[in-house]
Amino acid sequence: MNTTRRDFLKYCGISAATLGLTASDLLHLQDVLANPSGPIVLWLQGSGCTGCSVSLLNRISPQVPTSAADLLINSINLVYHPNLSSAAGIVAVEALDAAYARGGYVLAVEGGVPTAFGGAAGWLMTDAAGNDVTVAQAVRKYASRASAIVCMGACAAWGGIPASKPNPTGVLSVGAYTRRKTINIGGCPPHPDWMVWPIVQIMLGKSIPTDSAGRPTAIFRRTVHDQCPLKETDEAKYWAQPNRCLKSLGCWGPETVAACPSLKWNNGVNWCVGAGSPCLGCTSPSFPRDGAFHKFPG
Amino acid sequence: MATRLTLDPVTRIEGHLKVEVTADLVGGRQQVVEARATGTLFRGFESVLRGRDPFDAPDITARICGVCPTPHNQAAVAALEAAMRLQAPENARLMRNLVLAADFLHSHILHFYHLAALDFMTPPSMAPWQPAWTADIRLDAATSRVLVNHYLSALDMRRKAHEMGAVFGGRLPHTAAFLGGGFTGAPTAERIRQYRSYADEILAFVRDVYAADVEAVARAYGDYFQFGAGPRNLLAFGVFEEDAPGTLHLLRRGRVEAGSSALRPVDVQAIAEDVASSWYSDRSGLNPAAGSTNASFPKANAYSWVKSPRYAGKVYEVGPLARMTVNGDYPGGVSVMDRHQARAAEALKIAGALEGWLSQLEPTAPVFADVRMPSRASGVGLTEAPRGALGHWLDVTDHAIARYQIVTPTCWNASPRDARAMPGALEQALVGMPVSDTAQPIEVLRVIHSFDPCLSCAVHVMRPGRTAAVSVSRGGAWSSIVTPQA
Repeated sequence: MNTTRRDFLKYCGISAATLGLTASDLLHLQDVLANPSGPIVLWLQGSGCTGCSVSLLNRISPQVPTSAADLLINSINLVYHPNLSSAAGIVAVEALDAAYARGGYVLAVEGGVPTAFGGAAGWLMTDAAGNDVTVAQAVRKYASRASAIVCMGACAAWGGIPASKPNPTGVLSVGAYTRRKTINIGGCPPHPDWMVWPIVQIMLGKSIPTDSAGRPTAIFRRTVHDQCPLKETDEAKYWAQPNRCLKSLGCWGPETVAACPSLKWNNGVNWCVGAGSPCLGCTSPSFPRDGAFHKFPG
Repeated sequence: MATRLTLDPVTRIEGHLKVEVTADLVGGRQQVVEARATGTLFRGFESVLRGRDPFDAPDITARICGVCPTPHNQAAVAALEAAMRLQAPENARLMRNLVLAADFLHSHILHFYHLAALDFMTPPSMAPWQPAWTADIRLDAATSRVLVNHYLSALDMRRKAHEMGAVFGGRLPHTAAFLGGGFTGAPTAERIRQYRSYADEILAFVRDVYAADVEAVARAYGDYFQFGAGPRNLLAFGVFEEDAPGTLHLLRRGRVEAGSSALRPVDVQAIAEDVASSWYSDRSGLNPAAGSTNASFPKANAYSWVKSPRYAGKVYEVGPLARMTVNGDYPGGVSVMDRHQARAAEALKIAGALEGWLSQLEPTAPVFADVRMPSRASGVGLTEAPRGALGHWLDVTDHAIARYQIVTPTCWNASPRDARAMPGALEQALVGMPVSDTAQPIEVLRVIHSFDPCLSCAVHVMRPGRTAAVSVSRGGAWSSIVTPQA
């Protein structure tokens, strides 16, 4: 537990090539290794699907952290993550509580806060005294000593699909439930770069200006339509007509603020509109709305 | 003396699971004598779907699970097409297979290296891999080091599997390209080349690295071929359609009963859901097409948000081992280690099938059929998720979703006791598992992880529905058609 990242790399026999690092990354890596105690991050999952965590693992970037492995090994101390932590049961709870006792960690929350049945629609753990701890109780507790709260994705930020009509489990956003300021990373799921960026900003001690929905303005700035390479093209009359604007098929690009057209997804391989799929507007607080996602012409 | 152990949270799974076991001495050896699995989160997807446009179902239901979303896209388009009585064009079938396969490969690689392998090795000496239990780690330092390195290269491989799926799907997780009636985009020659280059690399990793690492673990933990059997009834709905009507699958539909190797057919009407131990107030024993569910918390004797699906009243296991056994591709038994081996063998089979689907794509052929959803219709879509058999039951009234019911793999595997007090598959598999150190019940975790539970999939609200005559309209799905109102 007290081993440094340098020891870890030595233990693994990892070369820079294994991590996909360039020469300049390696210089930075050496800097980080000289200062092995990265900020503590606690990651909780409430009423969500784990899609944000899976998307985070898809991180690949020319900038550090260059990959999920680089993020885990060289950037942060991820003291608890439900999908990655070795520890289960009380050992995991004790790791969380040791961080809580110290305070000052970054709390990342994926999924909203279910409040139905007095919170019994969602439990996270059994504590040392043998009590069931609800998502609501855990989020309130660990938020109280966090230096920053980052909502990873639509559900934590605004409730998302579980909170959509009729919101059967009384899901609230983390901000609405804790009444704390949260940094809201839109997307269902968010692009990995959007989740890594606020953590890096916090590590560097920089402030994160947000819009009225709590989204960092550095990331969520322009509409999808505004940046879309298909913007000035004729509207598609039907599916699978390449290089046509998808507005007539129900594209939400004009109403949706996100960098998808320039950034693209999955290592730049593609994006929804690139696959002929109209933008579903998943970075908007209103996602998934009530209405139909698509229009079927003809 | 009996010892009660609580594992909550169970980490390195998808979703929220609590497992309680009682360990006691049996024949001089301390082992699990009773187990209870509790799904601890419920979200209510079916009620969110009610009233929405039926064509929203693929994109909404995908969000049931972010680890394996694409099977929900697939089940939903199958249900929609069964309701519309149409077949999607060949290109759509093939691209769906290719995106779904990418999701399977990401999920199987993730499961072995990132969710399960830490139960067998000395993990890295830092968070999130520490703290960790140290009991019964048999792999030597050198082998552990190799596995740690492969843990990291597997992060890259599962990422690349998602990139491969995004070639046609636009992005993963949560592709937006699956539409009732077809697929949103065309398979260009450039896209086919791009997918192929990923496929070759992933096939090599699965064949040369993943399979070998599972073998290394299986050698060191050979006794785990004797542990964690469970009911030994195996069920598969079939997946990766190999013809347009969806009658042929790469991994076939069928079932095998304990103590027999005979392949038996699947009758969807034999599926019934039980809520005796689940926080719902409804009648037990209804087929999903006629089921109703209303949340009821607290409730006497209930301990899970997961319902208990049963086939002809019996407990069945679903997942890669069930699929590979039913398909005649896995000759082993049913155990913790058989599950890992069958999953690795299945990954290789799927990776080996990609080229066949790629080569059938025709860039200029249609990808989408004319669709018209009747004002009233019903359809069932059956497929497989990485974790096992998945079914979506759809009722449409006035062109909107009137009822949507989902029976997921982990409902089968992690269900609580039914009205006859019969424990679920995981609960049964845990009984008899030796526990050497009750402060570090690593053996319990190994049994749980072998099933690759996905709890987000397992817990949901179901809406009241009407009984409907069910007929087989296509091999890929059952549908019951209510006469369309013009």
